[in-house]
Amino acid sequence: MNRSLKWRLLGWTAGGMVLLLAVFAILIYVAIERALTRGFDDALATTARAIATSVKQNREKVEMEFDEQEMPEFHRAKRPDYYELWQDDGLVLKRSASLGEHDLGRDPGTEGVPVFLTETLPDGRPGRAVVLRFRPGSEEEHDGDSEESPASKSASPAEQVILVVARETRALNAQLASLRWQLALAGGGTVLLVLLAASVVVRQGLKPLGALAGRIAAIREDDLSARVPLDKMPAEIKPVAARLNELLGRLEDAFQRERALTADVAHELRTPLAGMRSTVEVALSRPRGAGEYQQALRDCLEIVQQAQGMMENLLALARLDSRQIPLRPEPVRLAEFVEAVWRPHAPQAEARHIGFHNRLAADLTCTADREILAIILSNLLANAAEYTNEGGRIEVSGRAAPGAVELSFTNTGCTLSAEEIAHVFYRFWRADSARTAAGVHCGLGLSLVERAIHVMGGSIAAETDKGLFVVRAVVPVLGDRTDEGPKKEGES
Amino acid sequence: MRLLLVEDYLPLQKALAKGLREAGFAVDVTGDGEEGLWYAGSNDYDVVVLDLMLPKVDGLTILNRLRSEGRQTHVLILTAKDAVADRVRGLDLGADDYLVKPFAFEELLARVRALARRAYGAKAPGLEIGDLRIETPEQRVWRGKEEVHLTPREYALLEYLALRAGEVVSRTDIWEHVYDFNSEADSNVVDVYIGYLRKKIERPGRRPLIHTVRGRGYRLESPP
Repeated sequence: MNRSLKWRLLGWTAGGMVLLLAVFAILIYVAIERALTRGFDDALATTARAIATSVKQNREKVEMEFDEQEMPEFHRAKRPDYYELWQDDGLVLKRSASLGEHDLGRDPGTEGVPVFLTETLPDGRPGRAVVLRFRPGSEEEHDGDSEESPASKSASPAEQVILVVARETRALNAQLASLRWQLALAGGGTVLLVLLAASVVVRQGLKPLGALAGRIAAIREDDLSARVPLDKMPAEIKPVAARLNELLGRLEDAFQRERALTADVAHELRTPLAGMRSTVEVALSRPRGAGEYQQALRDCLEIVQQAQGMMENLLALARLDSRQIPLRPEPVRLAEFVEAVWRPHAPQAEARHIGFHNRLAADLTCTADREILAIILSNLLANAAEYTNEGGRIEVSGRAAPGAVELSFTNTGCTLSAEEIAHVFYRFWRADSARTAAGVHCGLGLSLVERAIHVMGGSIAAETDKGLFVVRAVVPVLGDRTDEGPKKEGES
Repeated sequence: MRLLLVEDYLPLQKALAKGLREAGFAVDVTGDGEEGLWYAGSNDYDVVVLDLMLPKVDGLTILNRLRSEGRQTHVLILTAKDAVADRVRGLDLGADDYLVKPFAFEELLARVRALARRAYGAKAPGLEIGDLRIETPEQRVWRGKEEVHLTPREYALLEYLALRAGEVVSRTDIWEHVYDFNSEADSNVVDVYIGYLRKKIERPGRRPLIHTVRGRGYRLESPP
């Protein structure tokens, strides 16, 4: 379930909302609590000041001209308020009737500044108290100049008194509790509503994803031409769909190439099969002499050899494509190697008066995979032997370059246009669909060469110039890349 | 029957030419589209067996060219392309038949024979002229109840005359339809073979089947 985008989105929304609302609720609560407490405290302080004004210093005696009857809260039986007045030395001057014999907590306080405390009242109720430290007003200086006398009198701390007034906070607490409930309910409700809304929004928002999934599900492996329409796609999903379309395009291309390859392979196999079948059937159609049977068998053998050559090329191509051939680099003396690879083609070329010129320096070596190098050289030379004009010329030359050997194969008698040259490395491509002796090459040779060169990390290009067909191959020196001297004698 | 085989895969070309010649056809062979086009355009072949993928000029182009020149030669396409679209295209361009490689040689032979018969308006596999009976599939000939053994060349000559029974067939026609380019270039050879054939099928005391029409050629006809 937590893998679902919908639930994940809802989870994050809910979590975020809860956190945000909690912070807001706490802030609101603290602000309101402060305001309410201040109001409560102000009222408490006002009462305290009212009592304080009635405390007078009369000579050595502090008197309280305060009538409790005016303030019934201090003597009522139910939930009374309390006050207590101390002299600075701790002597209780007066306490409210509600206190009885009890005392309120005495705090030293600060002169002139009311100090508020949260207290448990003598009867166990929660409450708040205000502590006032002040100098009782004197009766003599009632009309006098207050500028000078307090300065002289303040020197005597004995004259200061401490008044504590306490009141229960039940109403305040109840108010705050109700506020807490309201905030919690409002918060919870909001979270629920937001979740509901979010789930609708998320469902709506994810609809294009569902639609995309439906489209993808509708794509069948035998028809990859389908594409996801992008016009009505939301901008966020468009790149996904666009990439998907590209992927489909590449897949379709690959499948088409694969199908074309299969068709081509079938086609190329049919021809030698037809040849063999007809040869055998004609041979068997009537009694013949031993010589005729032998000839038929020789014909069949030739066909089989050609077909085998094609199969081997195809197999090598498939292996190169899937990189099944591990590279085994070893030093190869190119001139010798080219000579050896050319040998099987020499009789055919000589019969057609084609001159073969191996212009490679005798000491030119290349560290490469011998087997793959053989594929490259034999196919290039076979191709040259086949397509060079009668009486023409084939030339192989090469030179060492940094980290590579550049080889060039040139043959005369090229009738290809520059446009056709671009196709020579395509599988099964043949100029004018010509196949002088179908089977061996059948348009596979050069594409095999290209694959082999790529597997070795090199590059190949073909060009034509005034009837010359030129293939330039760059064969990288495998393994020891720092050794830039394929010309060096050292066979490491 | 004269036949042109245009096939560039040499082993197949060789086997087919051998088989078709043994079946009594006069076979001209080429592995080149350009040459094939020239052959087909300059000779009156009874059947052309045409491969599609050919060097220089492909098979469909040859077919198209023949038909646009108004040639009625029966064409059998021989190809490794087996897609329906390929067959349809070949037939639509005027091919008479289509055979996909690899095929049974006997099937090719049967189809070629059928096409050759149709070239002379015949559809039945046997030919009868009086009490002379020719079974074309087996290449066997009977005179009455007695089987006549002929060489392939003699058989080809008889079959050609029989397909055009009642008509005067010129030496040139015979030369063109019974002999291929590899035959001895001697028009006298036709007369020599007519002589061989007469020896084998004519019976003494019965009216002759092969008549010489002076200055024009020969006519195979049953006695009235």
